Amino acid sequence: MTVLDPTVSPVALLAADTSSRELLDEFSKREIRRAILTAVAVPGYQVPFASREMPVARGWGSGGLQITLALVGPEDTVKVIDQGEDAGVNAANLRRLIADTTGVDTTTVAGEATIVQTRHRVPEDELGDDQILVLQVPVPEPLRGVERNMTELRRMHAEGDYARMWVSLYEDLVRNGVVTQTTGYPCLVGGRYVMATTPIPRWDIPKLHRSAHLSLFGAGREKRIYAVPPHTDVEPLTFDDVPFEVERTEGAGCHRCRAGRPDSGVESFLVEIPSTDEGRWVCSDTDWCNRRLASATVTR
Amino acid sequence: MGYVAARGGTEAIAAAEELVCRSRLQAGASWLELDQLTERLRYLNDRVMGEGGLWAPLLAARAIRQAEGDVIEAAHLLRAHRSTLPRLCELIPADADELRPLRRIVPAFREVPGPQLLGRTLDYTGRLLDLGDEDQARAAAAAATAAAAARHPGDDPDEYDGATEPPFPERLLDVLRRTDLAVDRRRGDDPEPTDISQVAVRPGIGRSAVLSVMARAETGALVNLWYRNILGPDNHLHEVTLGEVRHGELPIRVSHPRTGNPVLIGHLRATEVEAIEDLDGADEDRTRFDVGYGLVAGHNERKAIAMANLDIALHRDRSDSGLEQAVLMTTDGLDASGFLEHLKLPHYVTFRSMIERKQAMRTDRARNERKGRRQHTAPAVAPAAPATQPAAVAVGEVTP
Amino acid sequence: MTPALRVDGLGKIYGPGTAADVAGTGPGFNRVVSPTSGGIVAAWDVSFEVGPGEALGVIGESGSGKSTVMRCICGDEDPTTGSIRLASVDGGDTDLRTLSAARRRALRVDRLAVVYQDPAEGLDLRLSAGGNVAERLTAAGWRNFGRIRERASELMLRTDVPLDRMDDPVREFSGGMRQRVQLAKALSNNPPVVLLDEPTTGLDASVAASVLDLIRDLLEELGVAAVVVSHDFSVIEMLTQRVVVMHHGRIVEAGLTDQLLEDPQHPYSQRLVGAARG
Repeated sequence: MTVLDPTVSPVALLAADTSSRELLDEFSKREIRRAILTAVAVPGYQVPFASREMPVARGWGSGGLQITLALVGPEDTVKVIDQGEDAGVNAANLRRLIADTTGVDTTTVAGEATIVQTRHRVPEDELGDDQILVLQVPVPEPLRGVERNMTELRRMHAEGDYARMWVSLYEDLVRNGVVTQTTGYPCLVGGRYVMATTPIPRWDIPKLHRSAHLSLFGAGREKRIYAVPPHTDVEPLTFDDVPFEVERTEGAGCHRCRAGRPDSGVESFLVEIPSTDEGRWVCSDTDWCNRRLASATVTR
Repeated sequence: MGYVAARGGTEAIAAAEELVCRSRLQAGASWLELDQLTERLRYLNDRVMGEGGLWAPLLAARAIRQAEGDVIEAAHLLRAHRSTLPRLCELIPADADELRPLRRIVPAFREVPGPQLLGRTLDYTGRLLDLGDEDQARAAAAAATAAAAARHPGDDPDEYDGATEPPFPERLLDVLRRTDLAVDRRRGDDPEPTDISQVAVRPGIGRSAVLSVMARAETGALVNLWYRNILGPDNHLHEVTLGEVRHGELPIRVSHPRTGNPVLIGHLRATEVEAIEDLDGADEDRTRFDVGYGLVAGHNERKAIAMANLDIALHRDRSDSGLEQAVLMTTDGLDASGFLEHLKLPHYVTFRSMIERKQAMRTDRARNERKGRRQHTAPAVAPAAPATQPAAVAVGEVTP
Repeated sequence: MTPALRVDGLGKIYGPGTAADVAGTGPGFNRVVSPTSGGIVAAWDVSFEVGPGEALGVIGESGSGKSTVMRCICGDEDPTTGSIRLASVDGGDTDLRTLSAARRRALRVDRLAVVYQDPAEGLDLRLSAGGNVAERLTAAGWRNFGRIRERASELMLRTDVPLDRMDDPVREFSGGMRQRVQLAKALSNNPPVVLLDEPTTGLDASVAASVLDLIRDLLEELGVAAVVVSHDFSVIEMLTQRVVVMHHGRIVEAGLTDQLLEDPQHPYSQRLVGAARG
């Protein structure tokens, strides 16, 4: 990693930098870290930052990538997942970029990672206070469904004016009998800002609430960073008398590690395999599932 | 621990990448040289530099070749490359009066100060597909290139020589200003041009940022925004008269790091447009004309014209119409394409969650039908009462 | 007793000009355009109080400044001069104009409600009738779906909106029914002050009459302080106890509604009353 030295002229810096394979120069990393600090200081508030063009398209994790690149140091170990899977094409591509350009170690085991970059999932393993979860965010604005005008949106956040969000929940309940908001469920962070939870499933939201780890959200295309610091309230917007429901399918269980089956005593977020027999389910967190399977084999 | 290759994805993307590289090399044609792109596909090269936000003809040519001609992909390569470069210094704002014209037209007047210089333009070339013999064309091209090289060794063949050395022709706008026919749109509240690669733009940002966004916008997006405002539902634009259309070379300078003196470091070609519009609003200065400005890198007249026209629309529009937001947030080619194409990424977690809600809705509906209730699970509402209900129903303490 | 609403020396000039340019405008000059600045003196030197449970009428023809006064009170417009106080805000000690825009907007949630002539201004027509009520209630902090439903149902019943239409988008409602929903929403959390701007103008005569009946009953029941702006004396007569007459941006006469109707003093009031009596 290049260390900024104010006594070195920019020209010398350029000369020294030509061999660097890094995707961000040190000035850019510093600016992103500043935005992260602001985001941590104001939980749930979307901090604008000068998002750089990355070697991945905007909308493909460029925001999460910039956060990870601004944070990684020589001691870090990075895990990258997409849909809970380490082997997904997008996860593999981002992992390759991060590893090749920074030389950092990578892992698939959540507990071994200092930074977990993810799209659409939070790992099933509980993360600790020495870990950072970096979430790739396609749409950072939770209120876009009820308001399009950016100036008005800023006012609504500034004044904590979320009545229209509540009304949309009311209308949803009246029309559909249940809240139909699926992933990316809006949450009130620290009792102040309503935040878009990327699109992680509702299943994952309790894992952000008062968690030990720091969660950082990066939206590269929309140039916003926001954060949930450790031990911060993340409360899904829901009426007092309408319980917040996470995804569950009665009788479903992982066909590999049996998570979710009544006798397993443990649950995970399951995805369906439509091509196989009825009722075939599998854990979305593949590494967690693999480890369960391995330990079960050993025990047996 | 080292690098852990998760199985499946890594192999797949590596194989796809290998296929791309191999196919690019074994295309069954001779290697594409960079100068063929810079010299023979000039508009393409210029467009990629403009949308990529980096003036570097040979790098742009590389990007186009690598992207196999995909303009947005090539612009992306340029911008991503730019992200890796340290910022050494900032240019001194270029003075457009120093633009040395290769082409200059003034549609607003027949006789103008300085020449009407048609220059190199496709405007009046017949749109007839050339079906001539390939071998003859190849020979003619070689002969012409050789002849030009003999005349001006090392020169750019379309460089204009002689007739328009400084001072360059006065602008029509200067004439209008002198005769007090144009409103002054130069503003003092935005003295240092905003570098849009260094800030997150959003509505309310200064005019320099808005102009920069348009200069870097995807050409098709800007042309479409213009057209939908002329013909479509948005209707913020009127047809303008063009006061000035110029294409030429713009000197670029930086401050010397020791002496602070301006130092010429090169030229870039740019297209500049000034548009003139009638002011007719009740609260506008109807005795004068409004002026809009467009300046884009390279030769790209349609983008510069759209930009100048939208510039007028933006400062005339003081309503909350969303035009500013549309220009700032929706015209970037990389943003729009990236988000569009992200739909190709796996979405099975979100889709699983969607299916689950559909099922929950059905369960709820079935439950209510069994109970013979209305669709929604409204906790006990008051039973339908006679139309004339005693006052007691409405009044009373209400608490959250 | 502190008045629920108190307006002192309210003035609003559109376009150029200051207090110095007000001279030469008003009823005495038969004009609102300032001869010195060209600005429009839409309202000037307007003062009144409204007590709890009282309804004050503001009457005048279009262009008299009555709607300007209302928009200045509710915060849709910023007056050029004057002060506005609510008993519910610091016991009437604070001029609302000194509050931030955000705080002024917040007052609209529980201290002040407005019923506009055009229901589209006070409602979101895309939402259901119940959803419109829910918007005000959730803004005021209600977080219990059942209680919101219950309250919305009560209000629908009370404002004669058929309960089985409660979950339909207001866009599908007739003008009269939209106005009833607007009333239901405005009164949903018992705000101490309600401003009604031409609440029945634009409705068919029979519909207007029933909406008027409803407003009268509601004002009586709820004990709110109301300001009713109208060009129509029959509306003022039915709803208010006191009235001010506005002409060319000034109050030209004030008094008890029935007395003023019986015996108007100012020639302009006489003309208005005469016209109303046909």
